[in-house]
Amino acid sequence: MTESMGPSTDQVDLELAVGAEAAPRTQWQLFWRRFLKHRLAVASLLTLTLISFACFFADWVAPYDLDELDLTLIGVVKGPSWQHWMGTTDLGQDQFSQILHAGQISLKIGFFVAILSTLFGVTVGALAGYYGGIVDQIVSGFTDGFLVIPQLAILAVLLKYFGQSTNVIIFVLAALGWTYVARVSRGQVLSFKEKEFVEAARAAGATGPRIIGRHVLPNMVGPIMVNLTLSVAGAIITEATLTFLGYGVKPPETSWGFMLSANEGAINDTAKMHLLLFPGLMLLIVVLCVNFLGDGLRDAFDPQAKHST
Amino acid sequence: MLTYLVRRILYSVPVLLAVSFVTFWGLRITTDPLLKFRNLRNAATILPIQRKRLGLDQPIIVQWWKWLLNALQGDLGVSSRTNGAVGGELIHALGTTMHLVIWGTIISSVVAVSVGVYSAVKQYSIGDYAFTGLSYIGIAMPPFWFALMAIVLLVTWPKVHWDLDQPIFYSIGLHSTDRSGIFNLDYFRHLALPVMTLVVQTIASWSRYMRASMLEVLGADYVRAAKAKGVPRRTVILSHALRNALIPLVTVMALDTAFLFGGLIITEKIYSIPGTGTYFLNALTAGDAPALLGYTLLTGILVITANLIADVLYGVLDPRIRLS
Amino acid sequence: MTDKRKRPLRIVAGIASLAILASACGSDKKSGDDNPTTAPAASTTSSVEVPTGGTLTIGAEQEPDCFDWIGSCGGSSWGYWMAGVQTTPAALTPEKQADGTYQYVASNLLTGEPVLETDPVQKVTYEINPDAVWSDGVAITCDDFEYTWDQVANGEDVYDPTGYTDIEKVDCTDPSSPVVVWKKGAVYSGWKQLFGAGYGVWPSHLLKGKDRNAETKDGYDWSGGPWLAKWTKGDNVTLTPNDKYWGTKPKLEKVVFKIQSDTAAQFQSFKSGQVQAIYPQPQLDVIDAIGAGIPKSKSVVNAQTGSLEALWINTSRAPLDSVEVRQALAYSIDRDTIVKQLFGKVGVEKAANSLNPFILAEFSDQESFAGYKLDLAKAEELLTGEGWAKGSDGFYAKDGKTLGFEIKTTEGNKRRQTTLIALQQVLKQAGFDVKITFRKAGDLFGTDGPNGDFDVALYAQVLTAITPGLCGQFCTDSIPTAANGSTGNNWQRFSDPDVDEQLEIIESSLDADKQKAAAKAADKLLAENMASLPLDPLPNIIIWNETVIGPIGDQAVLGPFWNLNEWGCTAGKCA
Repeated sequence: MTESMGPSTDQVDLELAVGAEAAPRTQWQLFWRRFLKHRLAVASLLTLTLISFACFFADWVAPYDLDELDLTLIGVVKGPSWQHWMGTTDLGQDQFSQILHAGQISLKIGFFVAILSTLFGVTVGALAGYYGGIVDQIVSGFTDGFLVIPQLAILAVLLKYFGQSTNVIIFVLAALGWTYVARVSRGQVLSFKEKEFVEAARAAGATGPRIIGRHVLPNMVGPIMVNLTLSVAGAIITEATLTFLGYGVKPPETSWGFMLSANEGAINDTAKMHLLLFPGLMLLIVVLCVNFLGDGLRDAFDPQAKHST
Repeated sequence: MLTYLVRRILYSVPVLLAVSFVTFWGLRITTDPLLKFRNLRNAATILPIQRKRLGLDQPIIVQWWKWLLNALQGDLGVSSRTNGAVGGELIHALGTTMHLVIWGTIISSVVAVSVGVYSAVKQYSIGDYAFTGLSYIGIAMPPFWFALMAIVLLVTWPKVHWDLDQPIFYSIGLHSTDRSGIFNLDYFRHLALPVMTLVVQTIASWSRYMRASMLEVLGADYVRAAKAKGVPRRTVILSHALRNALIPLVTVMALDTAFLFGGLIITEKIYSIPGTGTYFLNALTAGDAPALLGYTLLTGILVITANLIADVLYGVLDPRIRLS
Repeated sequence: MTDKRKRPLRIVAGIASLAILASACGSDKKSGDDNPTTAPAASTTSSVEVPTGGTLTIGAEQEPDCFDWIGSCGGSSWGYWMAGVQTTPAALTPEKQADGTYQYVASNLLTGEPVLETDPVQKVTYEINPDAVWSDGVAITCDDFEYTWDQVANGEDVYDPTGYTDIEKVDCTDPSSPVVVWKKGAVYSGWKQLFGAGYGVWPSHLLKGKDRNAETKDGYDWSGGPWLAKWTKGDNVTLTPNDKYWGTKPKLEKVVFKIQSDTAAQFQSFKSGQVQAIYPQPQLDVIDAIGAGIPKSKSVVNAQTGSLEALWINTSRAPLDSVEVRQALAYSIDRDTIVKQLFGKVGVEKAANSLNPFILAEFSDQESFAGYKLDLAKAEELLTGEGWAKGSDGFYAKDGKTLGFEIKTTEGNKRRQTTLIALQQVLKQAGFDVKITFRKAGDLFGTDGPNGDFDVALYAQVLTAITPGLCGQFCTDSIPTAANGSTGNNWQRFSDPDVDEQLEIIESSLDADKQKAAAKAADKLLAENMASLPLDPLPNIIIWNETVIGPIGDQAVLGPFWNLNEWGCTAGKCA
């Protein structure tokens, strides 16, 4: 696909000319300058950082303690107010505090799935692309096999088997998510393999892994980062969908997706709409931010590309 | 071309076999098809009968092998949930699902291509930004949430607010009771919301792909050359650029077929449509292995077919590509 | 009768409460339900003239797996309510009395009450109404009784043969007067539910000699009730009037049950008029919506049901194997407040105080658990007496072990989730360290319960017929063991010889007074032992559009649609 255009020839020349030691600094500086120009991406990065910080430090940030419960408030749902910015839940508790705690799980799933699947996918894809032959055939066969089955179906079966804790969800989502990245990075490596700088390195006696790690991967950072951000969004939404089907997060762990599906019935009561609105809004904001961030990253890595996927 | 197709089909056979075995094995160890009998008053009598009927008294590999042999002869077995033939039930469910799939594919590709071309041609215009924003929002909404909101805002609200006799759109099934056929208003009033739910994500992502690949093609030498030669802008875009820009989109669309079937699970559940998604969910809840295997096999074949069609289209769209 | 496990469990709806077959009789006691919206069936019989014609669409939460109600696939409650009740004639039906309780009375299939003889063997004689015919015009005769008995008692793949297996024969000397004769020495106190609840009577002339399951599993075109049922799989069950029905003919032209498993979407379908009546589970959002008022609609909330939601306690596991600890647990919970918070908006404000549901009021002591009120001093006294002492973390402990246990419940049920989180907090303050776990209904009821893999479980038991006594759940020989194929329903592993004795009297006696005395004594003993802790009478809720008229009201045993033939639409049109 289009994001696989890779770095421009100028960059490659630059790297070859300046040498491996000095080049990264200059590249990073260039990168940062370009990234900071993308205002939406910068704003998204700040928003994401803020939300993540608030969620991961929810124990200190949240205005109310969810361990405290007033029996006489159970079932008393109140809309947003100054005391409760996002209203109260069916347990009579502050929804804002609950959103922060739930965000921990949603973000954790998003970040870890993206990182794990990208790491694994890139490694496997790069190896397959570089070595070709039987390795490539096995990997390609595998990724083709994964394509055949609707992911939701196999996810549900796997989660049923391994249980539905957050960590299991992360591993299962990552286990199914790596094939796409692997495909992309395989293609990248294939196209780089014939490039001069790789051939030069090979001629200089560098070994396979070294060439991949030293010369090929650094040139794939752009597409990989973009993929990473998209995986974050994908994982968060998939978790929400799975939870709705009854195969996702289970209490006492809660996620935004869990809050949405548990409060599905709130659509029937206008006084409870805030229970569906705010978790949905949080998902929307995070996914939007992650996507904008991805745009910014790609533009920064790859200034020549006129597109955004 | 033919040899290529034959080889691709042959390649997919071991994949399908492996997938079916893994599914079978996974189901047998995760679900208990006898669950609903365990609480019965005379479970002691019924359990052995049912165990035998469902073939559970044999090793998993033997069960799978028997299933496979029958499946090869077109017999997908009997659903442990309904006692009905899985093949027939699936075909029936697929018939319902195809309504959604066909309309969903048509609408999302038409809309996505139009939006993508517009955004690329009018890059950085207000329209481009608006479509970009909308598609990001489309990707960011969990489908079930979107579906529920659509019911509230497009079905219930207008009906209650304007005190209508009938809601403008319906949210149950594909037809009103006793109605059938596909060329009537009733059908489209039922179809609107489920199709909308199904296409919102595909339109969002396909239009992004279309925009990107269109931009790339528009920047290519031959297009610039055509422009320079004085070929009218409209002709350049529609005949030169569009055709080439469609090639990568076709691949993406084929790859997304599996995603589409996943989306059907949610859509069919919320809008009570008795298609393959509903069938899958019911089977999963009941631990109905024959039904789930049938489902996996069916969707697997459909996805492979979609990818083969994409390959063929690839060749049609770009004569330079030779499939071998 | 040697078998004490009288009540098979039936899983209701995907989200699943449990259901049991049993029966209710009259009672002189009302539950604490005095909500004006509550309209017990018997009292709703309106004087409004119900016009004929019109189509009514009702939302159904669950689709049955098959229509063969006798077979093991036919255990769906919705299937029974939608089609079973409407098409199979029953000899005796439970009738709601003015005081809200139930009494078995002869239906219009019979000309009068059946005659019971006990000497030398149990024998019941029925007189069939000469007007009673199947939808094809063939008279309902003794053959149909015999066929039904034969199918249930001698079939292999049968949902529940209770009561039929000990019948010696159905004597058809007089075709209009079946005589049911029991085996020597066999006594079946629940004989009134035979050829009624669940199965009814099946047409011998259409099915005899054929494979019953194959003929009926996908639906059937015969009927001995007011309606003919047609099943379009995945979409709907449609009822049309049975012209040959000899009783009150249906007013409506057609009733369509639209299958819609997503409950939130179903409520929207009701609001937007796509369905005109629903029978939702008593979830918090539904209760709130009713409390807030739904425009242009009416509702019934019936708390006098066969359902009972309780904390079912596994009495074989420490620390809850100790009576004192169980009692302390009961004294640590303010059940009335919890119930009031959950159901107060629809007028249910008092916790259930018996392990028997309300419909068994006559055969139980509905106040036996009333003594267990919030009393932390008493709880502390009980626990201290057993050697437990409060540690610095606020939890009781003994021999270095914290006083704690796990409560399991079904997942995806917001009401139960809310209840458990509340209980966890309440018990934490009282010094119990409670862990809560959510399980799929199938796992909880299919594995954890039978295997005893739980400390405490929160779920509802639902009676769908009438048989007094809790032997199936609390008798020693109902404990799941290898000997009974792990099929006993005493998941509590409760065992007490005194309780056994009383519960067995209820099972084996044909004398109602004797049964009542034993039932009350058993309830008292169960409360003293704190065998399990009743929480609330899960109310049944029907909501309908105001254009739907007629004597609409919940029937705790036959379901909400038992008198559908008397429903109608204003001006022949349901909006």
